[in-house]
Amino acid sequence: MASSFYTVVIVFLVVALINTIAWFLAPKKGGNTTVFRSTFILALSMMYLMWAITYLAQLHPLVVPRRSDLRPEFVE
Amino acid sequence: MTDLIPTKDANHTGAATGTSAAQGGAKYNDKNEKYEAMFRSAEMSLVEMFIPYEIARAVAYKLGDLGLIQFRDLNTKIRAFQRHFVDDIKKLDNIERQYQYFLTLLDQYGIDLHDLHLDPAYDDQFNGSDGTLHFSSVPNAGDIDELANTANVLENKLVEMVDGLKNLKSQKNELEQNRAVLHKGDEFFSSLAAGSSGFDLSGADSNGGSSNFVTGCLPRDKIGVVEQILWRVLRGNLYFHSMEIEQPSYDSKTDSFVAKNFFIIYTHGEVIMNRVYKVIESLDGNIYPVPSVSLERSLNLQKINNQLTDLNILLENTKSLLIQELTLVSTTLNHSYETVVKEKQVYTVMNLWQYDAENSGTTLVAEGWVPTDEIEYLTNVLISGGSGNVSDDGRTFSSFSNDVTPGSSSSSGNTNTNANVNSSTSHNPQSNIIVNVISTNKTPPTFHRTNKFTQAFQDICDCYGTAQYREVNAGLPTIVTFPFMFAIMFGDMGHGFLMFLAALMLVLYEGKIGKMKRDEIFDMAFGGRYILLFMGLFSMYTGFLYNDCFSKSLTFFQSGWHWVTIGGSGDGNGNGALIVVGEQNENIYPFGLDYLWHGTETGLLFSNSYKMKLSILMGFIHMTYSYMFSLVNHLHFKSMIDIIGNFIPGLIFMQSIFGYLSVCIVYKWSIDWIKDKREAPGLLNMLINMFLSPGNIDAELYPNQSSVQIWLLLLALICVPSLLLIKPIHFKIMENKKNKLNHGMSLGNGESRDNEEGELLLGDEQQNVANVDNDDDDEENSHGNETFGDVMIHQVIHTIEFCLNCVSHTASYLRLWALSLAHAQLSEVLWTMTIDIGFKSQSVFMIFILFALWFVLTVAVLVVMEGTSAMLHSLRLHWVESMSKFFVGEGLPYLPFKFEIEDLA
Repeated sequence: MASSFYTVVIVFLVVALINTIAWFLAPKKGGNTTVFRSTFILALSMMYLMWAITYLAQLHPLVVPRRSDLRPEFVE
Repeated sequence: MTDLIPTKDANHTGAATGTSAAQGGAKYNDKNEKYEAMFRSAEMSLVEMFIPYEIARAVAYKLGDLGLIQFRDLNTKIRAFQRHFVDDIKKLDNIERQYQYFLTLLDQYGIDLHDLHLDPAYDDQFNGSDGTLHFSSVPNAGDIDELANTANVLENKLVEMVDGLKNLKSQKNELEQNRAVLHKGDEFFSSLAAGSSGFDLSGADSNGGSSNFVTGCLPRDKIGVVEQILWRVLRGNLYFHSMEIEQPSYDSKTDSFVAKNFFIIYTHGEVIMNRVYKVIESLDGNIYPVPSVSLERSLNLQKINNQLTDLNILLENTKSLLIQELTLVSTTLNHSYETVVKEKQVYTVMNLWQYDAENSGTTLVAEGWVPTDEIEYLTNVLISGGSGNVSDDGRTFSSFSNDVTPGSSSSSGNTNTNANVNSSTSHNPQSNIIVNVISTNKTPPTFHRTNKFTQAFQDICDCYGTAQYREVNAGLPTIVTFPFMFAIMFGDMGHGFLMFLAALMLVLYEGKIGKMKRDEIFDMAFGGRYILLFMGLFSMYTGFLYNDCFSKSLTFFQSGWHWVTIGGSGDGNGNGALIVVGEQNENIYPFGLDYLWHGTETGLLFSNSYKMKLSILMGFIHMTYSYMFSLVNHLHFKSMIDIIGNFIPGLIFMQSIFGYLSVCIVYKWSIDWIKDKREAPGLLNMLINMFLSPGNIDAELYPNQSSVQIWLLLLALICVPSLLLIKPIHFKIMENKKNKLNHGMSLGNGESRDNEEGELLLGDEQQNVANVDNDDDDEENSHGNETFGDVMIHQVIHTIEFCLNCVSHTASYLRLWALSLAHAQLSEVLWTMTIDIGFKSQSVFMIFILFALWFVLTVAVLVVMEGTSAMLHSLRLHWVESMSKFFVGEGLPYLPFKFEIEDLA
């Protein structure tokens, strides 16, 4: 389970790498370099954050799912 | 039309003699070197131009097409009506008024204007299929005069026709009323003759030959009043009879149809009769004589019928003539309106220019802001001129004016000579334009270069305030953060997809829709189509993470939980229900929320805690990100004191409280509290206790927690006075140093008293100079001298605001939590209330109906209404929570002079 926390770090590194590549691959012509860089990197970062928060919240939840209406065939 | 030829010649000679001009022409489209101007606004320069008087109009036209320069008003001391080109503008105003009148007539007769935008040739002319700028034609003064004359003649003609038409119509009404009265009178008398009423009135006619009855018609609602009044006036000495006229008659005064009644009044005596006339006339009645003899009645009727036929023919002819005239007008009205509007805009701008009297009125001086990297382009265009295009467009213009007035050619002869004078006096007038860059201490306007994609995002920020010159543009990060913050509140794959599809249609067909006439709300959606597109896309992503698709969850990955039965009434045969709890597997659900949570009793409890922490973390990161822009600003403006006195204490304050909270949230997630058999501490209480009882820990999160928290608290507390004091103290020291320096200088001179006076004088003089420089527009002044008190007050306000805002803004991000929960719950409720009932009923018809209901409500309530509300919340988060961290927003917007042509409407 402890390795799960490192998933977040590894994905972070991957995202950072992609962002760095995107910085250099941004179209230089057409006068939209800044817009491309900002939009791409910011979007990817925010998507990463959102994912990471969702993932971390499920690592060790303090509440467990519970239901009392489950038909027996759904229990694996 | 004819004068264009010599102008062209002049340009040709110019190109032959001045090679620099020709080179300039080749550089027209070399725009690649421009600064992107999205992160910061473009650098601006104040440019001064000397323009020979005779080509000033042509130059203004060219500048209007370029849209590069924002002119400063050089004539603020001259009153508005004393400006040089006021008369021209008045003339154009008059033409515009006449065109508006034509338009109302066109509307009245239901004739459509010839729409320029549907004309492919028109678009080519303005946008240029190859993306190059086409310069509009410069109509010469004669053409404008011609337009004015045509409009005058046309107006007179139309007014005359409309008046005539009105006259004829009222005549027709009179006759029709008369006819109706005759008909009714006929009915009345014939019923008398049949003796249906026992009332004998036949003797009345024989009494002296003069009739003793009045006939006519009255508005129906006034019949009672008239009867009452007459009854009183004549003391009951009358016979009043009225009948309804079936057909309502037209009232030309109120332009509406009025129901009327026929009446006949018997009474006697001339005096009384006159009274009756007066009463009826004062109550909008009309009196038409009806002879009591039936033969006369039919003769009268025939006469009136004949008149009516003649009148109808005349009316039809006049009307068709008017419509013909108007149709002719409708084909050219928009085009000539455009010409007039452009001309007016040109003169309005030329009124801002200084008429250089010293130069015996041959030169106009213009001053304005131009993006620094466009000065060369501007100069090239002005000096070499786009002559080729002028002649092309001139053709279309002149052919147009021929359409309107086939006959008048006298004015064009005038301008011909004018143009000849032009070309003879100055060989190549265009090269006489002098463009100078002048240095100034005035604040330049803020200009962000936007395109169709970035425009809407930039507008969001500009709505709040224009960024200061060269400060970080809040519009750039908004491109992502705005739709993303929206998506956190709107997270649902299905709803996001609907929004995405709608936006995609707007984007794919933007060319077609752009030309359409749009109403206000649709125009807003169209303007923000790229925002909508991003909002839809990000909503799909967040919906994926929330695992919500129309409130249902999707099972993409293997769940991180399995069920363990702890009770229930299951009998093993598939009957009854079990009570189950989840037990965690080895794996974690890799992407998004585990679908297993869906529909559980504890699901809401979990997503509640998850979304609350999510909103705090996202909010904190968003604010920190925005706060970093203030560092970038301070670095760019090289204000070290702002970094030390504002940025660093603020950052430490924020990080030591809310940064610490964020770290604790993540740390708490990473610990397996159940396995460790420890009590998980509540973070909210922890944060509150950190302030209320420092050093006391209820439940320990990590070792040495109390000392860490005390240190953090001390750090935050130290930041408050440093935020408050560093900047004012620095200001005081600098001021003292400056004074000391001045003092030292005066001591060195040895004449301290005199010098002080001299210094005062010098100060006055400097102030005077500054006044002379800036007196014409105070708003553009650079900041005046600040005193210590100003700085101190400003800093106190800033400190209080910042510390309070840290708390309230973090709390404000909890709206993300609230709205996303509400959205998820609402969509779930909608599902169970509509389509779920349909599925349970298992009737196709029910499912069909309820699906329709569900879908309509989904679009109307969940996508449109909830979407609007989430958008407004996201807007607030940007304007208040994010932009307050770095945005000064006291800039002046850059409004270059560019032709703005709207169709007549």
